[in-house]
Order: sequence, then structure tokens, then C-alpha cells
Amino acid sequence: MWAKGIAMSQRNKFAFALICMGAMLSAHPAAAHAALVEAQTAQAIRLHAVYDTGAPMSHAQVIIFAPDDPARPWGQGVTDRDGRYDFIPDATEGRWSVQVRHAGHGAIVHVNIGENMPMIVRSSVETGWLNRLLMVVLVAWGALGTALFAVSRNGRRDASA
Amino acid sequence: MHLPDGIVPVEMALAGYGASAALASLSLARVRALPDPQSEIPRVAMLTTVFFAASLIAVPVPPISVHLTLAGLMGVMLGWFAFPAILVGLFLQAVLFGHGGVTTLGLNGVILGVPALLASGIWALMGQRWPVPAAFLAGGGGVAASLAIFAGIVLAGLPLALDMQAERVALSLFTAAHLPLIVAEALIVAGALRLLRRVEPRLLPHG
Repeated sequence: MWAKGIAMSQRNKFAFALICMGAMLSAHPAAAHAALVEAQTAQAIRLHAVYDTGAPMSHAQVIIFAPDDPARPWGQGVTDRDGRYDFIPDATEGRWSVQVRHAGHGAIVHVNIGENMPMIVRSSVETGWLNRLLMVVLVAWGALGTALFAVSRNGRRDASA
Repeated sequence: MHLPDGIVPVEMALAGYGASAALASLSLARVRALPDPQSEIPRVAMLTTVFFAASLIAVPVPPISVHLTLAGLMGVMLGWFAFPAILVGLFLQAVLFGHGGVTTLGLNGVILGVPALLASGIWALMGQRWPVPAAFLAGGGGVAASLAIFAGIVLAGLPLALDMQAERVALSLFTAAHLPLIVAEALIVAGALRLLRRVEPRLLPHG
């Protein structure tokens, strides 16, 4: 009887030990509620995509190509309502290419990432209204000259005939 | 409705150059067959300027703005001269304003030049007998044909990495925003022909 009691006690101890181990193991997932957050500064590329009218390219698709693989996209995204999109490139140095497109319209901008990181890069040179007007006047002048030349030549030909 | 550089694959851009070169050769051959092609040069020069400057006019149609194409007007007024004139205008727009692209010049020539030739055909068939409906059909049809060709090229050249559904939705909105332009350009062609008939009938297309 006493020996049986001892045996029962050992079994209880063993069971108790098993329950404790199970409790410890089951406590492991609960530890996942704890969180570890690291914060570090990083240099990001900020895009601002607009049409030539100045209207933002809202919800346009962004495709990013890293310098080491210009064929496969490194990342993708969508611009916000104001045509803005931010991304943090990895440490790959060289010329990053970013394409922004929306309904068949868009542009590609190249960003050189290295020691001297540029702050502002534009996909094309902006032309002001004065420049545009000047170009139209120059082209109109050229066309008018062509027209007048053709008219005068026809006139001379008619006169000589 | 101009494709910029870098939007379509290189193969498509090259195919566009090939198609434009073929259409330009055909157009110039037909021009050479005209009795006095030299006499048309003033009209071609003036309308090329009008087409070139039209890219500056942006009409806001929320959420985007649309540009005049003038494909119908060019076709009706210039006939076979329209295609080379449009190519020259597109080249100047791309080089001076960055409107469109140099690599996509051939495709843009197809997008605007083919509708101009269609408009020219409509005018040649109907212009003498029914000038007003022909003008409306050529002007509006020019924009509709440009939209269809533009959308077809964009869809055919979509990169696999792109969200196809999002681009299709964007393209549908873009097309819908251009529907008022169909009416506007129909009115422009009809109005221009009416004005020329009153002011300078010698500039009218012969049909």
C-alpha cells in the first residue's frame, strides 16, 4: 500500500512535470505578442508625376528598375492622388530607372544613386509658356515663309508662261 | 493622344516606323501623281503650323485634359498631303515641346495619320454631294479612329509587370474623356469649311 502510494506520487510528479513543460511550451506563442521595432534613417526617392498641363498623374502605375537588372522590375506601386510616390532603394549603386504610366501616357526618370546623390531629377526639361509661344511663332514664321515662297514661285512661273 | 518615349516595346516602335515609312511613301507617290503638287504647298505649310500649334490647346475634361488632334481637318483639307504634314508636325512637337516621343514618332504617325487618310477618303466619297454630313463624319470619325488605334497600340504593348486591369480601367476613362472631342472636332471641320466657303473659297478642298 505504501509502495503503491510512493508509485502514485512519482507518477503525479511525472505528470506535474509534463504539465509544467506543456505550459512552458504553450506559453511560447504568447511571447509573439511582444514586438521589436527598429528605427533607422534611410534616403528615399520621392517622385512627383504630372502631365505637361500641370495636372497630377493620380493613381498612375510606377515600375522601378534597379541598375543591376534593367529587364526585371525591382518594385512596383501606384502614385497617390497628387501624383506622388516614395520608395527607398537598396544599396545598389548606379542608375535606377523609374517608369510612371497611366493610360498610355507617362515618362521614365533615371536616378543616379551613389556618393553624390542628386536631390531633384526631371524626366524632361520643362518649357514655359513664353518658350512655347516663341517656338510656335518661329514655326509659323517658317511655314509662312514656305507658303509665300511657293506663292511667289508660282506667280513667276505663271508670268513667264 | 501622343505616345511618349519608353511606353511601348522597341519592336513596336520599329514596326511603327516601318508602317509610317510605307504610308509616307504611298502618300508622296500619290502627291507626285497630282497635276500641280507645287500649288498645294502654301496650304500644306499653313495647315502643318495649325496642326503643330494645336497641341498647345488643352481642353480640361475632368479628371484629365484632352488635346485637339485635327486629324479629320488635316485629311479633309490636304488629302494625300496630310500624312507627311502630320509627320512633320509630330516631329516638331516631339523635339520642341517633348509632346510625344522621337522613338514613337512612327507609331504616332500611324495614330494620327491613318485617321487623316480615312477622313480624306470620306471627304472624297461624300464631300461633293453631302458636304455638311461629310465634314461631321470626317472630323468626328478622325478622332474616333485615332482613339481606337491609340488604345489598340497601348493594349498590345502593355508590359507583363503592369497591373493590366488597372491600365485597362485607366484607358477606358481616357477614352470616355475624349468622347466630347469627337463632337468638337466634327464641329471644327464643319465650321472651318463653312468659313472658308464664305471668306476664301479657293482654299476649300476639292473633294
